[in-house]
Amino acid sequence: MISQEEFDRFVKDYNEDYILLLTRASRRHYDCLITSFMVLKDFYNLVQMLFDSGHYVYGVVPYPYSFRADSVLLKMLGFDDQEVENIFGFLDHVRETQGMEFEACLEAGTVAMCARPN
Amino acid sequence: MNPATIADRIEAHIDQLIESWTLAVRSDPRIESDDNLSLPELIDHVPAIIEEICTLIRSGETPGVKNSHEARVNVYTRFHQGYKGRDLIRELSLLRITLLDDLMEISSNQTFGITAQDRHDAATILNLYLDEEMRYAISIYSNPPNGSQRPSIDSD
Repeated sequence: MISQEEFDRFVKDYNEDYILLLTRASRRHYDCLITSFMVLKDFYNLVQMLFDSGHYVYGVVPYPYSFRADSVLLKMLGFDDQEVENIFGFLDHVRETQGMEFEACLEAGTVAMCARPN
Repeated sequence: MNPATIADRIEAHIDQLIESWTLAVRSDPRIESDDNLSLPELIDHVPAIIEEICTLIRSGETPGVKNSHEARVNVYTRFHQGYKGRDLIRELSLLRITLLDDLMEISSNQTFGITAQDRHDAATILNLYLDEEMRYAISIYSNPPNGSQRPSIDSD
């Protein structure tokens, strides 16, 4: 079993990675971002499963994984209007390049790895 | 087929459900934390929650840690909006009533061919999902992170 300190580090790493990926999206750096989000989703699920075991407390609450249509959350995280628009643009980008919604893409897993231009 | 019909019917009038729920929250004198929220801030993630519940109803999945992401977003934002824990629970209770009322109305329409078992299964998923959110909320509010200025479960 991991220690509380290790768990805290997991949460900190997750939060940093989450902001990093959103920041990439906010600057329209969309390449291979889906793959990165897939990996991060697994990490997030791990954190939540560990927390759900009841053995740990949050020193810091992890950022919620979803950012679907939630400008309130994104602004709370410090993104401005243009950046929020670019993040939502990533969802459009996923729909155009993968032919499915972002959430469906995450469920599809490796089938939807890096987008390849036609 | 019928679970999908239920989910489709619920999603077809999300806007009306949100309107009913918003009205219930705004007029509930026991909820105080919403006073400073604009309408978009109040509605915030609730449509996404309903959509995620519908997805689970369609697939027949049991709500749990790995498929209730939108619920966790809601807890996160409410916590950081300064919502009291008890107000969040009441707000979710009102959402539960709104959705169960709607489910009853949908299933009573015989043209949809929804059986008592279909209704029961959908209600179970709906209840378990909202219970999952409440469980998470209680975990966060009862052990607020270090240095947090957020209110606890009942800060009166």
